[in-house]
Amino acid sequence: MPAAIETHDLTRRFKRHLAVDAVSMTVPDKAVYGFLGRNGAGKTTTLKMLLGLIRPSGGSALVCGVDIGRDRIGAARMVGALLEAHGFYGNLSGRENLDLTRSLLGLPAREIDRVLEVVEMTEHGRRRVSDYSLGMRQRLGLARAMLGAPPVLVLDEPTNGLDPDGIADMRRFLRALPERTGATVLLSSHLLGEIEQTATHVGILSHGKLVLEGELSRLKADLAPEIALQTDDAARATALARARGFDVLPTEDGLTARLKPGEDARTASASLNRALIEADIAVFAIGARSRSLEGIYREVSPPAPTAAVKAQPEFA
Amino acid sequence: MTASPFLAPLFVEARKLNRSLAAVLAAAAPALIAVFAFFMVLRGTRPMPWDMWMINASGIWAFFMLPMSVTALTALVAHMEHGPKSWDHLRALPLPRWRLYAAKAVCVLALVALMSAAVMAMTWGAVMLATAIKPQLTPTGAFELGHYAATFAKIYAAALLMIAIQLLVALRFASFVPALAIGIGGTFFSVVATSAKQGVFFPWQMPVNMLATEAWRVNTALGLGLGLGAAVMAGALAHLSRREVL
Repeated sequence: MPAAIETHDLTRRFKRHLAVDAVSMTVPDKAVYGFLGRNGAGKTTTLKMLLGLIRPSGGSALVCGVDIGRDRIGAARMVGALLEAHGFYGNLSGRENLDLTRSLLGLPAREIDRVLEVVEMTEHGRRRVSDYSLGMRQRLGLARAMLGAPPVLVLDEPTNGLDPDGIADMRRFLRALPERTGATVLLSSHLLGEIEQTATHVGILSHGKLVLEGELSRLKADLAPEIALQTDDAARATALARARGFDVLPTEDGLTARLKPGEDARTASASLNRALIEADIAVFAIGARSRSLEGIYREVSPPAPTAAVKAQPEFA
Repeated sequence: MTASPFLAPLFVEARKLNRSLAAVLAAAAPALIAVFAFFMVLRGTRPMPWDMWMINASGIWAFFMLPMSVTALTALVAHMEHGPKSWDHLRALPLPRWRLYAAKAVCVLALVALMSAAVMAMTWGAVMLATAIKPQLTPTGAFELGHYAATFAKIYAAALLMIAIQLLVALRFASFVPALAIGIGGTFFSVVATSAKQGVFFPWQMPVNMLATEAWRVNTALGLGLGLGAAVMAGALAHLSRREVL
């Protein structure tokens, strides 16, 4: 079975700016693939190429084995998309908006009831879209993307602008989506927390390049854990830990000491704790923890000097 | 109910238009001409021939109301998608993009045809209503429906180039300013230089040249308006379908 989405050296250049640089990504079937990157990293450009909205400058992209460059319409049949700009007609009801797309896709009328039910919007279907909250619009967008039950859903920043309750709802909904619909989900976001709680796989895009890709649980497992510690003297504790071979980084709530691959976290914690106490450094907290997606992200996606000023990443 | 794949975009477009203010626009322009005709009849002192009322109405339609209506209508049709930023959604759908644009073109052409017929019908109605109030002003001569319909049909055909240009600009640019600027500019020259000979080569003046007495002006403007109009419309559909909307 081919991957749901596959790209080979996918590249897009806008005049002198290389927006997407030879991206080769694989989204496995039935995965929730979190496509991460800072604003301007090239996520939306990549998604637009996957939807056939813009042409690549080089490389190729396949959806369910169909080459988008050779058969845009064939590939588009496999994809439902929720884009940042919803494109709803505010003067029409949710149902009427869905019905326009349904007509264009040549689907039976019962499809509208089905997708409204999936996104739990049946009772709001007859209201005008201009009266919808942003969360309802996102759900309606998802419903529209699911018309015709395409095997792949491409969702561009589906939690953008939602309040905390809306984000929690969307997260729950997205997690259950492959099971409820059988679809593979490609989910772009710059919110690490969202992806960490929703995705089964991740791809991290940095300055147009895919710098990391894989199954999230495996990525985290493959990386050595780290020791989080809080002391009364961060400078001395850092020097002491470094002298013992730890890679130490300051964090918001103290210090993080990285272990070497294969090193036992409990033994290392105990040994470091003992050394700190012997050096008369008060230890408030110490313990091993597995690496977070944020840690992985920071490691593989350093901000560019100029981009860091223009577009700060947001973390949830 | 599902329409055939070819007609589906057309039905969808018609449904969108049906819920917009297009109907108001389509009724307003002919109605204004009819209202003007109504008061012109009432202020008369002696009966005038039907020809005069109908040529007056077709003249106002051809050199002013038609270009202005086309400007407004094409901007409205384009902004149904530019406004809510629907293009990405529409263009990502699994259907040939030219059909989306062709559906818009067909709807605009159908509405302009309807408005042309409405100008004729409403003018007749306005004159009849006025003469019901003042029977002594009942127009002389016959109401030559075939002749008037043929004139309006020629005006419509000669307007194709103008319609194609306005539609292309309205769909091409997300802002309505370029389309309005071109439409207002074209109408301005159509009004201030109605009888200029060079007008036969000016898309916004081609329709009014259908009322010229010189046959070469009628034939040249009609040939250019219809022929070039069809070519520009086909080119516009091809260009819009192929271009990237960033």
